[in-house]
Amino acid sequence: MPEPSLLNQLVDALRCLPGVGPKSAQRMAFHLLEQDREGGRHLASVLEAAMERIRRCKRCRTLSEQELCGLCAKPNRDDSLLCVIEHPSEIVAIEQATDFRGRYFVLGGRLSPLDGIGPEALGLDLLETQLQERKIEELILAISPTVEGSATSHFIAAMAARYQVRTTRIAHGVPLGGELEYVDGGTLAHAFAGRQGVEQS
Amino acid sequence: MASRSDQAARDHLQRCFVLHRRNFSNTSLILDIFSAIHGRQAVLAKGARQHRRGRPAGGEILQPFRPLWLSWSGRGEVKTLIRYEAAGPAAELPGKLLYCGFYLNELLVRLLRRGDAHENLFAFYAAALTALAAGEDVETVLRHFELRLLREIGYAVELDREAGSGRPVAPGRYYVYEQESGLRAAGTGDGRYALAGELLLGLAAGEPLSGPAAKTAKLLTRRLLAPYLGTRPLQSRELFRQHRNLSL
Ligand SMILES: [Zn+2]
Repeated sequence: MPEPSLLNQLVDALRCLPGVGPKSAQRMAFHLLEQDREGGRHLASVLEAAMERIRRCKRCRTLSEQELCGLCAKPNRDDSLLCVIEHPSEIVAIEQATDFRGRYFVLGGRLSPLDGIGPEALGLDLLETQLQERKIEELILAISPTVEGSATSHFIAAMAARYQVRTTRIAHGVPLGGELEYVDGGTLAHAFAGRQGVEQS
Repeated sequence: MASRSDQAARDHLQRCFVLHRRNFSNTSLILDIFSAIHGRQAVLAKGARQHRRGRPAGGEILQPFRPLWLSWSGRGEVKTLIRYEAAGPAAELPGKLLYCGFYLNELLVRLLRRGDAHENLFAFYAAALTALAAGEDVETVLRHFELRLLREIGYAVELDREAGSGRPVAPGRYYVYEQESGLRAAGTGDGRYALAGELLLGLAAGEPLSGPAAKTAKLLTRRLLAPYLGTRPLQSRELFRQHRNLSL
């Protein structure tokens, strides 16, 4: 079989992006080739450099060019609070939406035996070392309440118990602005179990 | 022309469980489902991960361990989900019971061929989830599920009579299970590998297991399953082991 044309290779390569099907990959390829060669060259060089130089922070496993990411290098964060999240993008979300000023630990996924994702793949050995060596007073689990997420939380909680670290998880419930009639029964049950007092004065 | 069973699948909601799900493109899921009538199927749930305002798009409901009503269409390898409804609340499997649930699912994914109907096994699977959620003895539930699964996929294991002679297994006597031929009476020198008649009869009759018998039964079913599981280790079993190492 002859090698596919460079154009076809480009279209194929673009399809590795999430949500990009054959049609939009073709559109992107033609756009870059016909209207924005400069942009295309820039993209190629930045992409190359990023793939080469961005790795995981050795402490929290978020993406970073340095051995220690910006957040881990900051001295004015609360070392006694460690928040476990699934993906680096959630750091940004939590930083913007909450007043949490502790440290983070990025799993990069959830335990999923049927996908072959076990504790090592999530860096849980590194987390265990930190539970053992750092003075952590509260481990906060911000993990999706799917079955894989629950299994992950359970595993990590057992690990924290071994080092007598208190573990909490973020509340799961009805989304703000959501309408109760559309909330699934499981979510409703969780929200019900986690009900809170109402300010009465 | 669509075959009759295709038509039926399109029109009628089927009792199902999701065994496994993985993300597909930005917004969809591919489900590995276990249907009472159609066995294991791969089904694409388009847009199931999309969030419409206030309204769940399916992802929340299309979870493992939850009884579902599903309908789908298509004749290819991967079907397309048409409708879904919850058929009840998800089995509540806290903590380690969740690993047991993964184990049942991994066994089904590894041992059932797509499209083979297993109505009895479906009922047995649903009952096993309910039993786990109800706090019944985990070892008993798992061992009986394993034996039932072997029987349903055509590898019935006779635990109440000797192979060859057909003599009934008797309490107070000891036996050895040979991978190729089946049960035989234990002789001198079989000591370590011998299985008590009571244990075998209890397993054959679906009775509860306890203490050291549960341990022996686990080793036995592990041996029975091994030839069909091949060399790739079960990941959910691995997870159990790693968890146990934590709590030592
Ligand atoms: Zn870091």
